[in-house]
Amino acid sequence: MSYPAAASDIQVGRADGKSASAFIKGLGLSNIVMGVITAVILFVFVAPFLLVLVVSFGEKIEGASWVWGFDFSNYIRVFVGVDWPNSVTLLYTLKLYYTLAYAVLGSLIAVGFAFPFTYFMTQGSRRSQAMWLVFVLASLSMSEVFVVMGWDILLSNRSGLPALLKAVGVTDWLKETGWLTVLRDWDLASPRNVKFKTSQLATVLTMAYLVWPYAVILLFAPLSRIDRSMIEAARTMGAGSVTVLRTIVFPAVRLPVFGSLLLLFVYLLGTYVTVTYFAEPAHQTLPVSIYESIRGATLNAPFGAAQAVILLITAGIFIGFSLLLARLAERKA
Amino acid sequence: MIKAAFKQGFMVLCAIYVALPIMVVCLSALNGGRSMLFPPEDPTLGRFVDFFVNEPVWLNSLENSVVIALSAATLAILITWPIAYDQWKKDTTFSKVLASLAGLPFALPPIVFGVGLSFLWTFIGGLGNMLTGILSHTALLAALPLVTISIGLQSIDRAHLDAAATMGASEGTILRTIILPQTMSYTLSGFFFVVVLSFHEFIVMFFVSASSYATVTLQIFNSLRNGFTPTMAVGAITFLIVSIIVFSLTARFGDLPRLMGADQARKD
Repeated sequence: MSYPAAASDIQVGRADGKSASAFIKGLGLSNIVMGVITAVILFVFVAPFLLVLVVSFGEKIEGASWVWGFDFSNYIRVFVGVDWPNSVTLLYTLKLYYTLAYAVLGSLIAVGFAFPFTYFMTQGSRRSQAMWLVFVLASLSMSEVFVVMGWDILLSNRSGLPALLKAVGVTDWLKETGWLTVLRDWDLASPRNVKFKTSQLATVLTMAYLVWPYAVILLFAPLSRIDRSMIEAARTMGAGSVTVLRTIVFPAVRLPVFGSLLLLFVYLLGTYVTVTYFAEPAHQTLPVSIYESIRGATLNAPFGAAQAVILLITAGIFIGFSLLLARLAERKA
Repeated sequence: MIKAAFKQGFMVLCAIYVALPIMVVCLSALNGGRSMLFPPEDPTLGRFVDFFVNEPVWLNSLENSVVIALSAATLAILITWPIAYDQWKKDTTFSKVLASLAGLPFALPPIVFGVGLSFLWTFIGGLGNMLTGILSHTALLAALPLVTISIGLQSIDRAHLDAAATMGASEGTILRTIILPQTMSYTLSGFFFVVVLSFHEFIVMFFVSASSYATVTLQIFNSLRNGFTPTMAVGAITFLIVSIIVFSLTARFGDLPRLMGADQARKD
């Protein structure tokens, strides 16, 4: 009696198999691939940012971990301190200020030096351009850790720039003329010699160094697309280099230069190793205190997340600006 | 004449400025003692032996670096190829949104992404697992192959595609015989960009490894508490050499200036 039942089972199985393969065919292989990829993007690429946002509203429990929540106390703490409204502490606002200040100066210096370099580079042959690009890319790929290691040696008091200045006699000259006292006021000297560690100068210069190769890469495309025949025409009509720069080069690359500045600025907002190494604790930035809160000494994940969200919003605003600029540049072209 | 000399001089000065800290790190590796002195004292190659033979912690972290970089690069290519292809072929709003989402982690401060990933892996488990480390680097660096592959797809001659279609080639055949071969060098460039940047990446790996394994970059940072030592510099040199080889190969077999956005028409 069980025979018909079994047969029908087989039939059902067959029908299922057919419809499954038909289902896959109907969907199309490409749609399945795209579906899987979309899931991965949402889960690994986008979800972490959402998690940071959600956790930032959570609440730290003394002596334990933290719980979900929904209040703005972490944000209030970042801007006006934990004891608000009784008293106002601007500790973290100051960190945000340093984050912005270092990033602005670093990106300005980097673009300032990268612009002439890239302009000269694009005038070379294709082959020399490729060689310079390999050089720039190789230095670009150097980790922040390695760069800091290099500058640490170069700026260290025992062997490096201060030792070199002393050996050459610059230090003695500075002492005689009184400049050393001025440098001490600027926090760039000890009673005995100049010092760069720790100083804001070293922090900003190392940051500029970090993004200089990026600046070259970003400026390379717009500068190499400038119409050479226009420059040649201007030259034949007697225009000097300055006139050429002012009337042809600058107008053509004004927007890309500004766009690169914004991108480098955003990149520098997240600098961590340089700041922990070259800035003294009082002058450190949000990324350092984010780390302290999440993994370091203080262990307050929601508070760390709130600081990360503020950093994220700051970055987002400036990326928005740079996208706007890119669109403007496209419309002009 | 003076102008040309000025240009050359300026470029060389920039090059020296860029190379100086790197050179210093490399030369410090020759120090005989335990401290980083420049110029090196008592030059020796003993630190290289330390790095590659005597101290297993370095070899172990080098292995981790290689595994993570190669796996992340492979995964990044597998994820971004269909996205770039879809955007190039259909150019729908969906494909545009997907492409910009894929570039999101690279565009925003990596420390924020690192924090978010550490939350994600804490919740679903796997924080401090190599696999999640690989996935994290895939997500962080996927923007690079996405860009290079898109540039590659745009550089395909439309005439070839039209000719193939007129002769009755199916989409699969066109993909296999025209699109894949013509974009191969761009795909490889993207692959190598991910490998090199993954080698050097620090902050995201710092958060997701949760101190249970270390890449070379991470190991160097962790050892900093005892100060810089010449053995670390060997790690830096190894990575620098890999970067130069990779980018030289990219320049040799691909069109590096074009990849960086130079005008295709100019060929001098």
